[in-house]
Amino acid sequence: MSQDKKGGLKRRDFLKIIGVAGGTAAVTGACSPPVEQIIPYVIPPEGIIPGLPNYYSSTCRECPAGCGIVVKNREGRAIKVEGNTKSPINSGATCARGQASLQGLYNPDRIKSPLLKNDDGRMKPLGWESIEKSLSEKIVKARSGDKSGNIVFLTNNISGTLSTLIEDWMGVLGGAHIQYETFAYEPLKEANKISFGIEKIPTYNIEKTDYLLSFGADFLETWLSPVEYTADFSAMHSVKDKSVGKFVYIDPRASLTGTNADQWVSIKPGTEGVLALGIANVIVNEGLSSNSAGGLQGLLSNYSPDKVSSITDVPKEVITQIAKEFAGADSSLAIGGGVASSGTNATQTLVAINILNYVAGNIGDTIDFGDTLSISDVNSFQDMSSLIDSMNSGDIDLILIHGVNPVFTLPKSMKFKEALEKVDTIVSFSSFMDETTELSDLVLPDNTFLESWGDYSPRTSVKGLTQPIMAPVFNTKSTGDVLLSISGQVEELNGRYVQTTYYDYLRDAWKDILPSGDFDKEWNKALEDGGFYEEPTKVAVSLSSAAMGISFPDAEFKGEGEYYFMAYPSYRYYDGRGANKPWLQELPEAITTGVWDSWVEVHPDTAKKLGIKLGDFVTIESPNGTIDTQAYVYEGIRPDTLAVMIGQGHTAYGRYAKDRGVNPLDLLPVTTDQLSGGFAWLTTKVNASRTGKHAQFVQTQYTTTQHDRVIAETVALSELQKGIHHEEHHEADFYPPREYHTYRWGMAIDLQKCVGCGSCVTACYAENNIAFVGKDMVAKRRDMAWIRIERYFEKTDDAKGFRTMYFPMLCQQCGNAPCEPVCPVFATYHNPEGLNGMVYNRCVGTRYCANNCTYKVRKFNWFTYKWPEPLDWQLNPDVTVRSKGVMEKCTFCVQRINYAKDLAKDDSRDVGDGEFKVACEQACPAEAIVFGNLEDHESNASKLSHDDRGYRALEFVNTQPAITYLKKVVRDKA
Amino acid sequence: MSEQSTLTYARVNEDVIRMLDKPTVKWLALFIPTLGFVGFGLFCFIHQVYTGLGVAGYRHPVFWGVYITDFVFWVGIAHSGTLISAILFLFRANFRMSIYRIAEGMTVFAVLTAGLFPIIHLGRPWNFYWLFPYPNQRELWVNFKSPLLWDVFAVSTYLTVSSLFFFVGLIPDIAAVRDRVTEAPRKFVYSVLSLGWKGSNWEWLHYTRAYLFFAAFATPLVLSVHSVVSWDFAMSNLPGWHTTIFAPYFVAGAIFSGLGMVITLTVPIRKIFHLEEYITLDNYDGMAKLIILTSLIVGYAYGVEFFLAWYSGSPYEWGQFYYRATGEYAIFYWIMVVCNVVIPIPLWFKAVRRNIKVLFIISIFINIGMWFERFNIIVISLSQGFDPAAWGIYMPSWVEIGITVGSFAWFFMFFLIFIKTLPAVSIAEMKEILPVPNKGIKGDHAG
Repeated sequence: MSQDKKGGLKRRDFLKIIGVAGGTAAVTGACSPPVEQIIPYVIPPEGIIPGLPNYYSSTCRECPAGCGIVVKNREGRAIKVEGNTKSPINSGATCARGQASLQGLYNPDRIKSPLLKNDDGRMKPLGWESIEKSLSEKIVKARSGDKSGNIVFLTNNISGTLSTLIEDWMGVLGGAHIQYETFAYEPLKEANKISFGIEKIPTYNIEKTDYLLSFGADFLETWLSPVEYTADFSAMHSVKDKSVGKFVYIDPRASLTGTNADQWVSIKPGTEGVLALGIANVIVNEGLSSNSAGGLQGLLSNYSPDKVSSITDVPKEVITQIAKEFAGADSSLAIGGGVASSGTNATQTLVAINILNYVAGNIGDTIDFGDTLSISDVNSFQDMSSLIDSMNSGDIDLILIHGVNPVFTLPKSMKFKEALEKVDTIVSFSSFMDETTELSDLVLPDNTFLESWGDYSPRTSVKGLTQPIMAPVFNTKSTGDVLLSISGQVEELNGRYVQTTYYDYLRDAWKDILPSGDFDKEWNKALEDGGFYEEPTKVAVSLSSAAMGISFPDAEFKGEGEYYFMAYPSYRYYDGRGANKPWLQELPEAITTGVWDSWVEVHPDTAKKLGIKLGDFVTIESPNGTIDTQAYVYEGIRPDTLAVMIGQGHTAYGRYAKDRGVNPLDLLPVTTDQLSGGFAWLTTKVNASRTGKHAQFVQTQYTTTQHDRVIAETVALSELQKGIHHEEHHEADFYPPREYHTYRWGMAIDLQKCVGCGSCVTACYAENNIAFVGKDMVAKRRDMAWIRIERYFEKTDDAKGFRTMYFPMLCQQCGNAPCEPVCPVFATYHNPEGLNGMVYNRCVGTRYCANNCTYKVRKFNWFTYKWPEPLDWQLNPDVTVRSKGVMEKCTFCVQRINYAKDLAKDDSRDVGDGEFKVACEQACPAEAIVFGNLEDHESNASKLSHDDRGYRALEFVNTQPAITYLKKVVRDKA
Repeated sequence: MSEQSTLTYARVNEDVIRMLDKPTVKWLALFIPTLGFVGFGLFCFIHQVYTGLGVAGYRHPVFWGVYITDFVFWVGIAHSGTLISAILFLFRANFRMSIYRIAEGMTVFAVLTAGLFPIIHLGRPWNFYWLFPYPNQRELWVNFKSPLLWDVFAVSTYLTVSSLFFFVGLIPDIAAVRDRVTEAPRKFVYSVLSLGWKGSNWEWLHYTRAYLFFAAFATPLVLSVHSVVSWDFAMSNLPGWHTTIFAPYFVAGAIFSGLGMVITLTVPIRKIFHLEEYITLDNYDGMAKLIILTSLIVGYAYGVEFFLAWYSGSPYEWGQFYYRATGEYAIFYWIMVVCNVVIPIPLWFKAVRRNIKVLFIISIFINIGMWFERFNIIVISLSQGFDPAAWGIYMPSWVEIGITVGSFAWFFMFFLIFIKTLPAVSIAEMKEILPVPNKGIKGDHAG
């Protein structure tokens, strides 16, 4: 990581120069592939050596989790997002959304300059000075004369210096600052207040448990901090000393998280709390409770297994089985509060889960209130409702909107849009022309977080810093700077801030955060580390008596329909903000492998009843609206439930998001959780019917099972514990074995760890300049991904009937590769380090290699794919951009191998184990992928390749792959 | 064949050379649309080169489709030409005499057509010459392990040998044409092409020797070229391709389809040019018998593939063959079986073999069946390989159909030019099987 010792201002200027120089090169060089011009630096900028990357630490702002990132900058351009290993949250990993933040930065549909709405309703570009003048005039006007003078500043969760500035600013102007998050987890807060007297969202130590019970918390997808919890889950669920932790998922729908569970318990929507109490009851009755369960017996005695079973649809045996396992485990944990399954009794459900944890003795052990999430502090849903009321009554004259898109993320039935239109002046700071910004009168486009200074504190122990990786791509300005600049033009604010730039303001603010001493030194260290991290202090909690006093009502549902309607947050689009990034649109959703669209998940029995099959359009009707979308028939959902993901169905937000899929929020009523007042997501009953229309369901895998083949292998836990007899037999071969010297690059992929999140896929797109091709092309199976997650549903004996396997498939770099001998021109060949090299320039495109590839991991350039400018600014200069007619494939990030070898060569040594990571391995939050040198017998990859669970995919074809898969562990029948 | 023939040496010359008269309206009515289709095929190809191979229906995992089907189909068609002209010549099968010229022309034109497809199907066709081992300063060489390279040699060898064989056989006939035509440009062209043939005894002695050598030289090519083409598939590891039966199976299939094509071509020519006395029912009878034989071999291959796939116990092999017969492409599989195995069954009856109309219809079905055989082998195998996650369905696009239709037009274009410029029936060899002209007999009749 490089650091800036000369101070930020100077570097900012310098980045600007680089940006302009680089921009010129891009404009002249990016239109058509054959013309390539190299424009030299006339005056070489200081600190940039062409060909050598610079890395800058920052904090990801794609969701409230606040992972630490390190962004790679080449010749003035941000080209790759990588996880910050120093961040205690994500420790070096990223999710697909984090990887795709670059496509937010370089999005061709970004707002390119300030805009002012004309009298005729059209947006007109304007200079910064004029727009700032207009804004200050609006502020003055709003506070003068007969106006009520109410100003509201609506932002997302921006816990940090910007929040302080806005609070201060609004304090002077007499307005309110509302922090709104689509998924605010209010029931979690409220339940903790009731149970423990702490109105906070804690962190959970999932990695410390060996028995995890999740009541609908989709912690591998969106719940609180998905990258962190994926890593934690991987740690508890992977094979350690021949044992694995058990994970049970309780939800009406097996989400991505649910498909990774050892056991999915399908439960009637809204009855999770009853089940939690039922389990607690069994624990207490069977005398398994580690504490006396003081005072709870009375409450719990109402929840006998028989009764619970009839309410929840969960068989009695399952309740007792879970209870025994949960109490019997050394360290168990029950979590809940997933958005999708939160109903009107969400808080009570979570209190019940807390009781269950308490009964099993988990409080304080695996739940940490010393380190609470800043999302606990955002405004409540009630505040949004009253904002709408005030807007409707004309009380608001000026609203400033930053980082949120409530017109899209609030249910249509709330009529936020109609209310917003009643506001005199709407000011948006959005970088994108989203649904809310479209209504704005003034648009002052903010820099994306990759272009601006800032900070964000996702939790007590973590203060993350955001620094510009490059000069702004467009004529945008960071909101902090705008606020400071306008302050000079508003009477009350004039002279309030000594700083003229937000950078100075931030630095000054951090003087209070960083340890005292040499500030410049500490500041630079914080920049290098990506922030300032503290050890959280332990907070002891105990169950308060309030928890025992509350009643546990049934969930209420609106609408007369036949089916429960579940709108679930998408791990690709979050609340919809990811939908404008083509990498995320083209990332196959793990369960369906669907792309670029929405769909409704329907149980096979329901599908039969409705007379529909995969790809048929279904009309879903609630009292609040109707949506038409394609059906995906899925066993992992209850027959009485339909599920549609949140995030698609934009009516604005750029070419990639607009008019794509449906927005399930259109169907939801305004219903709140009784106790917390937070929005309740699962409260609708809908009707469904077939429309008679059918279209191809565009997905990347058209099979659901392995068809009696063994590609993704499993091993029973009992067999693993007995010790697998490992047969190492060598078949006679006509040819002598290949010899490798110093290096043979190889990989080990642990199927027990892989959760199928797809962050490797997006990381590979980013690293290797893989083209996104759009829905029409994916429909023709022409997606270009070099690594894909194969998904198989396997029949099992137990009641739920299926198990999901995720299997990352990429080039196996075979020692005896079928692709190599068939190429007539040696475009693909075996390199001395065991890679199946691919010489793009030599390829004539016979495609025989792809036909003969056992694993079908080669992709062909059917066209010359274009990246609309400036998306092409992201292209990795170390990797060839392929043009039409050539084959392409994974080569284990050969550019990274060569870079590491070059560095090693400078020191006259060999590349050591773990010295560098390949892109997929680096991104993987579960650490399922381990890359290394198989010739080095001490390397991790080499050791894992001899693991008991190790096997090679389709080994009998004798391709001698360099990738070892470690079998997934399946539990024996209880 | 000639027991009751009224043919005389003079009539042979007249009848055959009459075919080379000025193009009639009928001929032009065939030729101009043919050129139109060639033009459309060319347009499709240019569109494909300019836009990218994506305009074809290709997709992951079916990287070969209609173009390679066409390639194998046309190479197959080429085969019975050489079979009829070379092998049957060596076996002294007289029924070949009248049809071998047409069959040989068909061979050359079919190879000319087939040779286009490996280039059309390339991702970067402008670099096709990289497949040839030519010396260059970058020291780039070709991979002799690749069956595709063997194809390059097989096809180019076959084109060279069959063209030479075709031309050598034409020399005495061209001389005969030269002697008949009077207009200056035609006379000159035929003079040059006849290489100064005078028909002397010495010339005939050398000519027949040379012809025999060429026949002997071309014979192994009939077997080797299509074996090499079959290895494009057999040398891979794909279930459905990786099988040792492919070489004989492909050769038999090639002869089968080639004979079908010969019948399809000669029946209309016989009718239009009134060549009933030249191309006799005996000729067709002989070809039909060969069709029965090759149909049986092909049918056996279908059965054996299925049996071995099941007997192997491999889910990959059996999965592939079960899919062929029952999957999305099953219709094509059963078209193939019906056309190639069921429809030729009536040929066991002599009456059918000698019924030109029925024979013609059967030959069309054989052409269709054999095209689908190649399509099935290539496309169905690719669409369900080892890894179920990578399975996918391919269907040709309008560009591929346009180029395929264009390739037929391209073939017929050559053929139409051929029947108007060169003797379509061998004048010299026809005379070998006619009774020697005898003045006495004629005089007797006259007297």
